[in-house]
Amino acid sequence: MSSWIFSLVVATPLLASCGASVPPPTQRMADAQSAHRSAQELGANEVPEAQLSLKLAGDQIAQADKAMSEGENARADSLLIRAQADAELAIAQAREEKSSAGVTDAVTDSAAQKATNAGQGAVK
Amino acid sequence: MKTIHGALAVVTMALAACSSTPPPKDLTSARAAYDRASQGPAQEHDPADLDAGKKQLDRAEASFEEDGDTQETRDRAYVALRKIELAESVGRSRQSDKKAESVEDAMHAAQGRAVANTSAELGRAKSQLATQGIALQDERSRRMDAEKRAQQAAADLAKFATVKQEERGMVISLSGSVLFASGKSELLPAAQARLTEVATALSREDPLSKIVVEGHTDSQGSAPFNQELSQRRAQSVRDYLVTRGIAGDRVVAQGFGLTRAIADNGSAEGRANNRRVEIVVQPPTPAQ
Repeated sequence: MSSWIFSLVVATPLLASCGASVPPPTQRMADAQSAHRSAQELGANEVPEAQLSLKLAGDQIAQADKAMSEGENARADSLLIRAQADAELAIAQAREEKSSAGVTDAVTDSAAQKATNAGQGAVK
Repeated sequence: MKTIHGALAVVTMALAACSSTPPPKDLTSARAAYDRASQGPAQEHDPADLDAGKKQLDRAEASFEEDGDTQETRDRAYVALRKIELAESVGRSRQSDKKAESVEDAMHAAQGRAVANTSAELGRAKSQLATQGIALQDERSRRMDAEKRAQQAAADLAKFATVKQEERGMVISLSGSVLFASGKSELLPAAQARLTEVATALSREDPLSKIVVEGHTDSQGSAPFNQELSQRRAQSVRDYLVTRGIAGDRVVAQGFGLTRAIADNGSAEGRANNRRVEIVVQPPTPAQ
């Protein structure tokens, strides 16, 4: 009897450390999915670098989903932390593309403006 | 001896695990990324994200030092690499945004200068127009003044002379009694002022026109006497006009005596009309 109780006492923390008692990382999953969606909306699919980051995020979210359904919550949690980092990087890369295009636009506008001013100057 | 061997083997394995395990690829990549990022635009434009990346890299390094190339070390390094890359990307974005902003600022400044130049030009054009307007006004009032003076001169002239346009030119007729005492050829003082006005009127005529001063008398007295008198009177008027600025080579004097009566010498009034000086302004002939 006492040895049965003993084994129970030892086994409980062991089970805990195995991950059986880690709760499913639903909040992390929601956060990662949200970041992934944001990256898509920002046009990450049209920017080569961002496209790769977006794919890594999506793949790992899928793997985490599978791990959760198999009860491997700890594994799912790690995958979601990685997916979150990839999705955020995809967002930054999509924005970078827009900023870079903004410079090109500004330079083009500026050149057009200069030409217009020069044209007006010539008319006088 | 056997236990010593066993212990040695354990220690060796432990050392191997600690120091000679090669770092996972994500960790070396994250280290390289951080070295690169800390030299790049992230350093200036996104230090907060760069710092977060550095902290995550430190966690990965700690994990690697304590436990070697474990899944946890790999996960931490993976996330560290992404965070550092994110800082680099944000840094480049902000750098681009600043550049776009400065290009736009420069463009707006240039637009501002162009607008200022245009409005300055407009201002110059306006004041030029105003100056021209004033000049035009001046010219107009100058012409009006001249016209008024000419009208005034004609009106003044009409008081003591008749002005007629005839085939031989413009004829200004002056009554002899206004100019001379009876039988004399010296101008009366009152005549001088009037002839001055005539000279003024003549000076407005075409400078190429010729002027003939004709003397005429009534029929009283002998023809030679009247011829002589009319010649001297015409000469007096001619000489006076020359002193009043009419060019001498333009004006000649000619006496006609009693030969060209315009009225009946039988009446006092007719004779008064016949005693006269006519100034004829002949328009220049095309040949000249």
